[in-house]
Amino acid sequence: AQKAMPGTSLEGIRPTYIYKVVLLGSTSVGKSSLAYRYVKNDFKESLPTVGCSFFTQTLNLEVATLKFEIWDTAGQEKYHSVCHLYYRGAHAALLVYDIANKETLNRAKLWLRDLEKEFLPDEIVIALVGNKVDLAAEREVTTEEGEEFARTKGLLFMETSAKSNHQVNDIFMAVAQELLQREQGKTSAPSPRGRSTVDLRESRARTGCC
Amino acid sequence: EYEEKTGRAHRPLSPKQNVRKNLDFEPLSTTALILEDRPANLPAKPAEEAQKHRQQYEEMVVQAKKRELKEAQKRKKQLEERCKLEDSIGNAVLTWNNEILPNWETMCCSRKVRELWWQGIPPSVRGKVWSLAIGNELNITHELYDICLARAKEKWRSLSTGGAEVEGEDAGFSAADREASLELIKLDISRTFPNLCIFQQGGPYHDTLHSILGAYTCYRPDVGYVQGMSFIAAVLILNLDTADAFIAFSNLLNKPCQMAFFRVDHGLMLTYFAAFEVFFEENLPKLFAHFKKNNLTPDIYLIDWIFTLYSKSLPLDLACRVWDVFCRDGEEFLFRTALGMLKLFEDILTKMDFIHIAQFLTKLPEDLPSEEFFASIAAIQMQSRNKKWAQVKRMLIFDNR
Repeated sequence: AQKAMPGTSLEGIRPTYIYKVVLLGSTSVGKSSLAYRYVKNDFKESLPTVGCSFFTQTLNLEVATLKFEIWDTAGQEKYHSVCHLYYRGAHAALLVYDIANKETLNRAKLWLRDLEKEFLPDEIVIALVGNKVDLAAEREVTTEEGEEFARTKGLLFMETSAKSNHQVNDIFMAVAQELLQREQGKTSAPSPRGRSTVDLRESRARTGCC
Repeated sequence: EYEEKTGRAHRPLSPKQNVRKNLDFEPLSTTALILEDRPANLPAKPAEEAQKHRQQYEEMVVQAKKRELKEAQKRKKQLEERCKLEDSIGNAVLTWNNEILPNWETMCCSRKVRELWWQGIPPSVRGKVWSLAIGNELNITHELYDICLARAKEKWRSLSTGGAEVEGEDAGFSAADREASLELIKLDISRTFPNLCIFQQGGPYHDTLHSILGAYTCYRPDVGYVQGMSFIAAVLILNLDTADAFIAFSNLLNKPCQMAFFRVDHGLMLTYFAAFEVFFEENLPKLFAHFKKNNLTPDIYLIDWIFTLYSKSLPLDLACRVWDVFCRDGEEFLFRTALGMLKLFEDILTKMDFIHIAQFLTKLPEDLPSEEFFASIAAIQMQSRNKKWAQVKRMLIFDNR
């Protein structure tokens, strides 16, 4: 993660980490709605995202302050080559699908393949998110199916509803905990592989942030 | 008690009446301030006190009168300004209708017309001017629109009845692709200008928007439906009849810049961004350096602006004014507008870091001051070391080859 300059942290001894979190998935699975619910705790019909939109959220945890920079990407497949730009340097990715639309899970799997090409497994925290559980009657993907896929790929998994505010905070919190754990593992016992990850990240990290 | 009352009535003018008589202008806000004598069961006011109260009351009235006169003057001025504006719009409508439109070919490039054009096209002639300025290089007729629409409807029917294979000309675009595209159109229509409440299911323009987008995917299956298009079609529908909106839509999307973006030709998009950066550095060197330092690339904000021609990110009336000049000046105006925006907010943006700039530019303030915005666009020079936009772009395309 990008660690903020010590002098800029008001918390004193608690470190501040800045993480880039990118939301990926088919169109209208609820990426923008999840971000909106998480950051504003509200739900409204979102306009289709063209390109990318951005959110920020600060998490004050016991051991550290986490700043999430959330990149909410356009879902339409045609934008794929553009969105490719957006996950570069991400620390976490939420692969979102719609539990009432099987096809969107397949898309999420394709996104995963892309991410696997770009990142080493310990470079990025990936969560699979089955959104729209409020549409239980129209469900096309069982919880088990999502869970099973996430387990085999080592992803975090949760089913959410941005509309009825179900587990939205939880999934971001799970991502936060995972990021922190990795951060702590990195500083306490740097394995040779871990070190190379750090180098990679630092070369990608943005500099000159204020 | 009766005597008391009648006795009071016979007294010489009460201070209130007195004051009223002296005022030709009655301040509204003081009519509730009534200077009464004390109730009968209390001792009367001493003359001195009564005099003092009268004086205070009169002062208050004078103040209020002053204030209200001022307000009235302000209202009058506003009204005059509005009349003037309406007059100028009225005059502009006459000029456009009687002088410019009948002589389009000869007049459209004259200095006078270009200046009038910059002021914004009156809404009643806007559609006509846009149509003429966009042109119809593709020679699309109303009949062709009907044919494309009929084909689109055919497809919708076959999809809804479950007939998976639509045989025919546009093989190579899988049925799944087409289906996804048609589904997506349906989804996006209700997400297009939702606050106007006219494109949603049951709204007056829902079917029109659906038809135009559907017809376009049949007309150009190679491009298909791309998110962002629904906003462009919607703006055209607000200003033109359906078939003419379709003609303008297809021709507009056929322009090189729009084609590059809607086909998501990444290489070409990067060339546009590079050309934009040449003028960015030229016009706003400090901000340019700040963006570079923060790794803030133009795609972050330009993609949305260019794809939707600002109709999603600006208030609709401002977006239409941008479209006006875009129709006059072509693609370079889209990039000039972007630079105008950056210039307008230069001071704020220079103090922000990456994520806040990105957030700010992808969600612009709702109360954008239109005159200042256009003044800062006007201040942008689309000239870099004696090279114009088209030349810079051509050079960059050449370099890429």
